Amino acid sequence: MDFDFSPIFDNWGFLAQGLWITIELSVATMVAATLVGIALGLGRIYGPAWLRVPLTFYVDSMRAIPVLVVLVWTFFAFPLLTGITLPPFWAALAALTLHIAAFVSEILRAGLASIRPGQVRAARALGMSGAQIVRKILFPQAVVRMLPAYGSLLSVTIKDTAIASVIAVPELMRQSETISAQTFRPIEVFTTAMLVYFLILFPVTRAVEAFYRRVAHLGRS
Amino acid sequence: MASALTSRRKNADQPPVVLYDKVVKRFGALTVLNGVSAQVNKGEVVCLIGPSGSGKSTLLRCTNALEIADGGRVVFEGQPLPKTEAELRHVRRRMGMVFQNFELFPHMTALENVACGPITILGTDPAEARAKAQALLEKVGLGAKAGNHPSALSGGQQQRVAIARALAMDPDVMLFDEPTSALDPETIGEVLNVMKRLAEEGMTMVVVTHEMSFARRVANWVLVFDEGRVIEEGSPVQIFDAPTHARTQSFLSHLGWNG
Amino acid sequence: MTLDWNVVWQYRADLAHGVLLTIALTVATMAIAVPGGIVVMLMRQSHVRAVSWAGTVFVEFFRNVPLILLVYWAFYVLPILADVQFSAFATGLVAMCLNVSAYNAETFRAGVNSIRKGQLEAAMAMGMSRSQAMRKVILPQATRRILPVLASTWVSLFKDTSLVSVIAVGELAHTALQIRSQTFRVLEMLTAMAAIYWALGYPQAKLVDWIHRKYGVTE
Repeated sequence: MDFDFSPIFDNWGFLAQGLWITIELSVATMVAATLVGIALGLGRIYGPAWLRVPLTFYVDSMRAIPVLVVLVWTFFAFPLLTGITLPPFWAALAALTLHIAAFVSEILRAGLASIRPGQVRAARALGMSGAQIVRKILFPQAVVRMLPAYGSLLSVTIKDTAIASVIAVPELMRQSETISAQTFRPIEVFTTAMLVYFLILFPVTRAVEAFYRRVAHLGRS
Repeated sequence: MASALTSRRKNADQPPVVLYDKVVKRFGALTVLNGVSAQVNKGEVVCLIGPSGSGKSTLLRCTNALEIADGGRVVFEGQPLPKTEAELRHVRRRMGMVFQNFELFPHMTALENVACGPITILGTDPAEARAKAQALLEKVGLGAKAGNHPSALSGGQQQRVAIARALAMDPDVMLFDEPTSALDPETIGEVLNVMKRLAEEGMTMVVVTHEMSFARRVANWVLVFDEGRVIEEGSPVQIFDAPTHARTQSFLSHLGWNG
Repeated sequence: MTLDWNVVWQYRADLAHGVLLTIALTVATMAIAVPGGIVVMLMRQSHVRAVSWAGTVFVEFFRNVPLILLVYWAFYVLPILADVQFSAFATGLVAMCLNVSAYNAETFRAGVNSIRKGQLEAAMAMGMSRSQAMRKVILPQATRRILPVLASTWVSLFKDTSLVSVIAVGELAHTALQIRSQTFRVLEMLTAMAAIYWALGYPQAKLVDWIHRKYGVTE
């Protein structure tokens, strides 16, 4: 059982490119999913009934279908349906955004619901309008309360980008597969990939927890 | 304090049930108990009063080793508190503790709460333990609530169940940690009445409390705490009607106590 | 573009088999990962420094690497580590058990820690030993808090079984993709795959919501 880590050093540029794509895809997904998710969430809470029902259906469906299935469908089936071909990165971005946005909207809904009704009553007693209450009282507290779940969603997103390898997005996982197949050193390559992911994800999780601990008191009513 | 005063205490001729010998307790840089010496005689009701943070609750928790003293000794029935957890467990069985937040077990009914100590710890026959639990609940006036869960009981009722639970172990001393501080004013009375009856039956009790009228009427001895020390001790009459220490006087007047 | 949905009906037996394997993998993983999670949680509470450290490393590592990578890694490492040929199913099972045990250990730990310290003190003040207090007072209460989280983990696990398709385990995703390759009925098979997962997952998600409502604890 001999280990040879030299293929990793020989190809580190190739792998680093993969890491860059992973980061790009993760950040782009989080940004897009947050925007879409907030819109979805607000639509579900404050929207008219004809909007709420399909949105709820969409969110619950994304909880039921695996990410892999959404990715594969977006890349292979969507073009057949609409004639629009999406390059792998964009297909992955679209699929991941659709999937993650559903969870963002759920987190928003739970965050707003967890604020004590007394807060709204107090604001109304002061004479604030509905929109002011949402903007100044509900939203800031909800944001703080959402942080832990949102932070773990960030972690999930980074891990889900690895699944994009199945539609040939050249992120870290895919690049690792390529090198491993070329050099016949799967153990060394995949072990290194696992360490790299761990070294990214572990600090992210810890940083979110630490940040939340600092600001948690702002959301406690 | 003058030995003439202490020798007039109840059962002063017998060895004390609890003896505190220069007890010291620190939490980090904060010294919460700064050499507390006192004793609790058999059948006495000793009340600990004083401002918040003066160390009263900490001393109580050192008594049954929920906190371990950093210096000095706690002597229970002639023996210093043991060091190992296994031996401490045996000692704790002979003390009953009642908490400010009741701490009833929410997943058990009132009856099960009271019976669980004897069944689990003493190995009592379950039927016998439950019969005894029912009797204890009736004693505190809650026989009809035996099948209720704590969530269905008021604060005062929960605290009375908690007292019954502590009594179920047949303790030699009952420790009360601000038993009425978390209660609505209407329900404080029902708990204090149970405690008063317990005292009349001769139970040795150490009570940390803010209820001055209870201390005045029921206590045999009062310890006044301030900043980790006992600044004054004496009979209730002496402490409440003629306090000698300046801090005691200001503490009592701040409570709006005018005798 | 002509669509032939008949292909789904034609291959219904294979798809049904794939579903069964998905369910089997989910059940088997949970059956191992619940006791596994308890073991790791107990390790983390151990007074022996090396043991508690090992437990913490286990939890932090397997929660912070992508499952799909773990599946691949297991596929290549297990034969060498154990000197035995593992079936693809067993390999996938090992990877999933490691992953879910780590999550469960954290769930159990959070559940136990969420019980107020006063409950433990009240039990100990009566003279209960620590293990008696855990058994009679803490764990019965913690179970109520752990159940909803465990239910959510179950649903995630069910979806994650799709990832072992990459090492050719014949669960639903792999089966559907195989049929797609053989028949070239891409849109039909991929949509059918999504629909079957939806049909299985939607009720589960709703059940989890119900469990959260029924057992959820608000302090």
